[in-house]
Amino acid sequence: MTLAPERAKAAPMRATGRRQASRTVARRRARWWALAFLLPSAVPLVLFFYVPMVRAGWISLHEWNLISPMRWAGLDNFRAVLGDPTTAAVFWHTVQYVLGYLPLVLVFGLGIALALNRRLAGRDLLRGVYFLPVITSWIAVAVVWRWLLNPTVGVVNQVLAWFGIDGPGWWADPTWAMASIVLASAWKDVGFVMIILLAGLQSIPAEVNEAAVLDGAGPWRRLWSITLPLLSPSVFFVVVISLINGFQVFDQVYAMTEGGPGGATQVVVQQVYDLTFRYGQAGSGAALSLLLFAVIMAVTVVQLWGQRKWVHDA
Amino acid sequence: MPRATGVRSWVLWLVVAAGALVMLFPFWWTLVSSLTDQTALGQSPSLIPDNPTMSAYRELFSRTPFARVVLNSLGLALATVVIQIATSSLAAYAFSRLEFRGRPVVFAAYLATMMIPMQVLLVPLFVQMKSWGLVDTYLGVLLPSTVSAFGVFLLRQAMNAVPRELDEAATIDGAGHLRIFARVVMPLIRPAIATFAVLSFMSSWNAFLWPLVILRSEELRTLPLALASLVGQYATDWNVLMAGSVVSILPMLALYILAQRHVVAGIAGTGLK
Amino acid sequence: MRHHVRASAALAAVAALALAGCSGGTSSDPTSGASSDAGGEPVTITYSNFISNGGNEDNLATIVDAFEKENPDITVDVQTLPYTDYFTALQTDLAGGTVADVFDMEYSGYAALQQSGVLAQLDGVDGSKYATSLLDAYQTDGAQYALPSSFSTVVLFYNKDLFDAAGLDYPTSDWTWADEKAAAEKLTDTAAGVWGDYQPIGYHEYFKTVAQAGGQFLSDDGSSTAFNSPEGLAAASWLVDKSGTVMPTAEQGAGTADFDTNLFTSGKLAMWHTGIWMFGVVGEQDFAWDVAVEPGDTQKASVLFSNGVGVSATSEHKAAAQKWAEFLTSSSTMADVRIKGGWELPPISDQTALQGYLTQGTPDNRQAVFDSLDATVLPPSIGDNQAQMQDIVTEKLGEAAAGRMSVQDALDQAQAAVDKLLK
Repeated sequence: MTLAPERAKAAPMRATGRRQASRTVARRRARWWALAFLLPSAVPLVLFFYVPMVRAGWISLHEWNLISPMRWAGLDNFRAVLGDPTTAAVFWHTVQYVLGYLPLVLVFGLGIALALNRRLAGRDLLRGVYFLPVITSWIAVAVVWRWLLNPTVGVVNQVLAWFGIDGPGWWADPTWAMASIVLASAWKDVGFVMIILLAGLQSIPAEVNEAAVLDGAGPWRRLWSITLPLLSPSVFFVVVISLINGFQVFDQVYAMTEGGPGGATQVVVQQVYDLTFRYGQAGSGAALSLLLFAVIMAVTVVQLWGQRKWVHDA
Repeated sequence: MPRATGVRSWVLWLVVAAGALVMLFPFWWTLVSSLTDQTALGQSPSLIPDNPTMSAYRELFSRTPFARVVLNSLGLALATVVIQIATSSLAAYAFSRLEFRGRPVVFAAYLATMMIPMQVLLVPLFVQMKSWGLVDTYLGVLLPSTVSAFGVFLLRQAMNAVPRELDEAATIDGAGHLRIFARVVMPLIRPAIATFAVLSFMSSWNAFLWPLVILRSEELRTLPLALASLVGQYATDWNVLMAGSVVSILPMLALYILAQRHVVAGIAGTGLK
Repeated sequence: MRHHVRASAALAAVAALALAGCSGGTSSDPTSGASSDAGGEPVTITYSNFISNGGNEDNLATIVDAFEKENPDITVDVQTLPYTDYFTALQTDLAGGTVADVFDMEYSGYAALQQSGVLAQLDGVDGSKYATSLLDAYQTDGAQYALPSSFSTVVLFYNKDLFDAAGLDYPTSDWTWADEKAAAEKLTDTAAGVWGDYQPIGYHEYFKTVAQAGGQFLSDDGSSTAFNSPEGLAAASWLVDKSGTVMPTAEQGAGTADFDTNLFTSGKLAMWHTGIWMFGVVGEQDFAWDVAVEPGDTQKASVLFSNGVGVSATSEHKAAAQKWAEFLTSSSTMADVRIKGGWELPPISDQTALQGYLTQGTPDNRQAVFDSLDATVLPPSIGDNQAQMQDIVTEKLGEAAAGRMSVQDALDQAQAAVDKLLK
């Protein structure tokens, strides 16, 4: 099962002293090449992300309702945001979302990807079906999900009733509202996880598995010892992306519950939006987003750092 | 053993197919509601349209210049895909194959752009576009999405999976980075590129907030803006909205089917054994 | 889906609008003070609106056509946005300095816009064409900064067939809460899925019901809340107690977009507190329906909503823009289109034009709309924190309605939070 890495090592073995000498030259040249390869993306990134980000930082130091002239506020906005109990609440709701959403899409996405990587009848069609929700827009999807999860006449509760379960109040009940959003989001995103993991599965060379079969490894053993380790870069990718996006959950909340009932689904970005565009506190909105940025950055850095530990070939 | 596998995969197929039906159900409802007459659309539509009618679709096309809207969205999405693939794959190659000082930091700086909510960049970005005179232009919509940190990340992952001895072999044959990039790496990550193309198309196709603020003219409007305008202040014709949703899904579906073929072909054609 | 209740606010002293209103003065040239660049170079002005979104696009186009015909040198470039997204776009435009020459606003947003200096002062407006109280609402320190484009109110819709079946008398303008409650209880038949009453539980109903109970939402000087009072408690209880007894709960769908509309049009709702803008939406039904002035408690109090248009202070064609703004808000074409199209009412003083509204068909008792204006309630208007205040009150009342806190606790918490905003 260490087949691929061993092969990878073989080529450099051929290299000798001559290569050692030319390495510094190559490295210096690589720097210029890197610049050339990065420039087309770095320029727009600076112009359309970093410059506005710096401006957002500037806004966070002011009191501003977007209309009147800005008034210098120093760190007041940060103090206000950190001192506001709403901030803790919106972060907690966001974390609830992430904790519910991530395992759900990961487990189901992986299961579906593994299943649809096999030669099943109608495989392409099935893949298409699982991917279909990914390409829809929340504007219409949210309406359908509110129907499905309607506490009294919704299909989901009707199905639960068949099994003698008294379904919850879903989006109308503060305890279940976030679960409703998680469910709808998982439905929409599981195809995304599937397609990324499928791409990962397809890049695992078939002969690795064939060799393991010849060695007499069973399907579970092959899954744990070969497939999952070789898939770990893709899993890693999905986790990083899902966390980055999950912490910025907004569209589905805005479309399904608008933060309600009783503020139970008010998430960070919804709060940023309200502060900026509805409450005339763009400075506090910017301060809160910078706080969110710091949190996501920290979470991501931890993952990138932990990548060495569990991601194969990182 | 083959027999056991047969039964097992049969069970597996059933499970996967049942799951697919569950996945499809909300679409069925979207479709049914779009074929239902407005008055019949209560708070919970029926599963089978009693009196299927195309009136919602007629209404949709009469209320919005839908052909124009679809064309706008299509053009912008295709441009976004092409540009993003170009910029992202080049950057991904640098992060995957080129050694340079501060690479992890630069990479983190790329990822960082995904971590700030669009809602807060909206106003600063808009002010900037205005100073360049790009308000209410296609270019104004397009420019901020000329690069995708997500794409860089995705394609870097894919490139990292391409065995390095292939580069080495090409280098020995005298190939430079441009050739390794274009001839060796890119063909091998076609599945990832196809995946990215679909996702990038989708993000442009469904983009709402930025087009909302940057676009003015009716002629430049994109699909999500047209869809949103079907939601009224006091009353919404949900069947028309659902019809709009169905119509907006179709081009995406076509692209996906196209791309999916490519994903498979990409695998089969790599000669990677 | 954000189903905004009208975020606009009621206006003062609407009695002036009642049928005894001022007869139109001399028809002086409305553009006398504003014709400097009109008649010269052809200009194009932009008009950004939400009022025509969702069904009145053609009506607006009719008004634009009439204006352009009358002013061949001015072209109006219309941009229509959905209500929910309009304000995000407007805020961004104001921040970026790209706001349209003429743009929509709600009355509740007027003060903040005016204070920020983004509205051009409008001189030489022919005030005689407008209902005085509506026109005055958009004045600051005696100067006009915006023009009213429409007004509307909330009345009690009722299903005549359900009343007949229950053997009850129809609501009249003399009804009180007690009458409404008694009828609602008799009309509610949960087994048949029929509900007696529906009134949204939130800010826009609350400040009005506080007035109906004889209380005030804010103190006289507006520096603190006044709703945490016996009257305020009565009003909150009036709304909250309906939920689950004569009115569906949030779990049953209340508060969801179009839920109440569907309930009423499917003949399963006997009484419904909603705006006159629903006349056209409900239209002819299989059952007979009509409207009445909203019942009061110790006194009558109806809400008056208004939208307005302003001219951007940075507009390069202020004169042409003002000409369009005036045409849009006072021309006879506009009044005609609005009344015939069942759009919100024109803010005009011409009573003969308004009379036409009474004979536009269902509902028959359109007189109730004008009768409602005899007693209106002043809107609590607090500037930049307006939306936040509204959200707080709506959220707390919703919590009480769901039974997650007592009505008194809800008021206590709302008072504490809103008082903080007023400081």
